Amino acid sequence: MNVKFNNRDPVYVQVVRYFKEQIAKGFFEPGQEIPSRRELAHRLKINPNTAQRAYKEMEEQGLIFTEGNLPSRITKDEGVLKKVRKELIMEAVETFVHSVRTINVPLEEVLQIVREYYEKADYARGHTHD
Amino acid sequence: MQGGIPMIEVKNVTKKFGRKEVLKGVSFTAEKGQITCLIGINGVGKTTIMQAIMSLIPINSGEIFIDGSKLTKDSYEKITFIPDTITMLPQMRIGDAFTFMADFYQSWNQKRAEELLEFFKLEETERISELSKGNTAKVNILLGLALDVDYLLMDEPFSGIDIFSREEIANVFTSHLIEDRGVIITTHEINDIEHLIDKVVLIDNGIVLKEFHVEEVREKEGKSVIDVMREVYEK
Repeated sequence: MNVKFNNRDPVYVQVVRYFKEQIAKGFFEPGQEIPSRRELAHRLKINPNTAQRAYKEMEEQGLIFTEGNLPSRITKDEGVLKKVRKELIMEAVETFVHSVRTINVPLEEVLQIVREYYEKADYARGHTHD
Repeated sequence: MQGGIPMIEVKNVTKKFGRKEVLKGVSFTAEKGQITCLIGINGVGKTTIMQAIMSLIPINSGEIFIDGSKLTKDSYEKITFIPDTITMLPQMRIGDAFTFMADFYQSWNQKRAEELLEFFKLEETERISELSKGNTAKVNILLGLALDVDYLLMDEPFSGIDIFSREEIANVFTSHLIEDRGVIITTHEINDIEHLIDKVVLIDNGIVLKEFHVEEVREKEGKSVIDVMREVYEK
């Protein structure tokens, strides 16, 4: 786990986002055990109270669940997992659309460029991914 | 205690050294289970506040409560002050310092001391005079952290040491070794620890300019600690 946090968004929100990304990428599998709050704080080098807050938020959003005194786990609820993926996609698309709109590029042209670039970027990422 | 939450409460504390008023009515709270950071751009005041909380110096007016009670001899079992330089004799080995602390403090926890030693990758046989600056700082902090107290006051734990030692010391704050204790640290450098702390108390010229929870300011105002400092100090 290696996350760079920015200083202006609540750290707990950034932790939740990190978990969503890991879930969407398939790095966290449904039902997978996740670190304890204390361990997460230590690994991400954040305040333990913040880690606690992030877990509380994720529990409320149904991303993780805890049974009794057992370690928390990633949800097995397919609906929630699909929603996470969609949420991340929508967020990226919104940002993208917003920025291409401000420079007035026709949709068809954008889609063409996206299609070409997507293949290339995917290839490049395959080589630099850590 | 406010709402039954264990905390240190500093209320309207004033302190004069001769004619110079160093604290001009300082008030803030530091909860147990949280890390509260006293930040001041100008050096004056922060160490004095810690010394006042510990009753190491008399205050001119105001009150200080620990878990709702005034500081007494018994409170020393609850709270400890870690100064910015080590107070052990240089010729001592780390193990000797442990023995000294065990003789001196009832609350000394040998097991935790050993755990911390391992955490910092140090050996009991090392002589204090032969330690690097960073390792000396680690031993200094270790000696305070190994006490079974509810509150730890740390004066400038990150100043004057190399970046890797700073990181290692910062890591203690996110580890189980800090447990649910209340920590107050003074610093003039926030960069390394912005994500570690719960609360900030900005002090300047003997008064508290602002007291805030860092996550709250990020959430409600989208501001970093430094953003807030810039606003407050540039006024």
